[in-house]
Amino acid sequence: MSSFETPEHMSNHDDDALDRALAALPLAEPPAGFHARVMAATVYRPEPAMRNWETWVIGTVVAIAAWVTWMLATSPLAGDQLADVAAYAVRTTGELTSTYTVLWLAVGMSAAWWISQLSVPSTRSRIEAR
Amino acid sequence: MGLALAVDPPLAAPVVDDQALIAATLAGRPEAFGELVSRYERAVYHLAVRTLHDATEAEDAAQEAFFKAYRALGTFRPGAKFSTWIFTICYRACCDRLGKRKRLSRDELPDRADPSAGPEALAERNDEARRLHAAIDELPEKYRAVITLYHLQGKQYEEIATVLNLPLGTVKTHLFRAKEQLRKALSL
Repeated sequence: MSSFETPEHMSNHDDDALDRALAALPLAEPPAGFHARVMAATVYRPEPAMRNWETWVIGTVVAIAAWVTWMLATSPLAGDQLADVAAYAVRTTGELTSTYTVLWLAVGMSAAWWISQLSVPSTRSRIEAR
Repeated sequence: MGLALAVDPPLAAPVVDDQALIAATLAGRPEAFGELVSRYERAVYHLAVRTLHDATEAEDAAQEAFFKAYRALGTFRPGAKFSTWIFTICYRACCDRLGKRKRLSRDELPDRADPSAGPEALAERNDEARRLHAAIDELPEKYRAVITLYHLQGKQYEEIATVLNLPLGTVKTHLFRAKEQLRKALSL
């Protein structure tokens, strides 16, 4: 006879019996093809052609190129302005690579490295050391 | 203990623990993740279908849980239990869906009986398992979630509390009340 058949039996249905009944409950069966769909959406998911950051970089470059093209096509002075900007960029880059700048960069980086090597004990360990 | 039956590894296969399977997946072995899915797909789907009461939505939620777990596998804390983790992800996915459903319908959360289980269907539930399932379906959502996880994870109250993001005491109270209601329902 089933353990749930009679009210008398059920009134004496103790915690263990309920636990056993719960443990014996069959689990819901996933629909056919569930495993395959999970695998297809995870480990067998094809890699995207481009990563997110690549999409952003390419998009930005394309947008700048389109903007420059449009500017050149619509403004008669744009060519001169563009040449000025390019010359300024080249000049600035040249200054960045001058001996003087490189020397100061080296001094700064060296100082940063030496400071990073210093070991200053934390407040708590200083207190404990006293 | 038979309570954790759903998440036991297949008997025929050599027993590899979940941590090793996660490590193998991260090392680029897809079959290791396949094994993890095989171990937990029934339990995860069961949790989803018991929470959502909708087979299609449950399938989507369970699939979403595995997808999120796979993507975040690298962040899985060594020493933690994969079952607790995947159940937590699945339960949150279900709660999101219940929230959306609530917003869409402007109705209360479906903490009532399975809509598919009308009086005729309930009358047909004449065996123990079906009666118990029907009684669980009648429980309020918060009790149903606790009893479903109790069914899946056994007496691991801390794990249940983690999945549901509830204090341990609340889980024990909910479980006590859920069992009381089940006993009452089954004795009718």
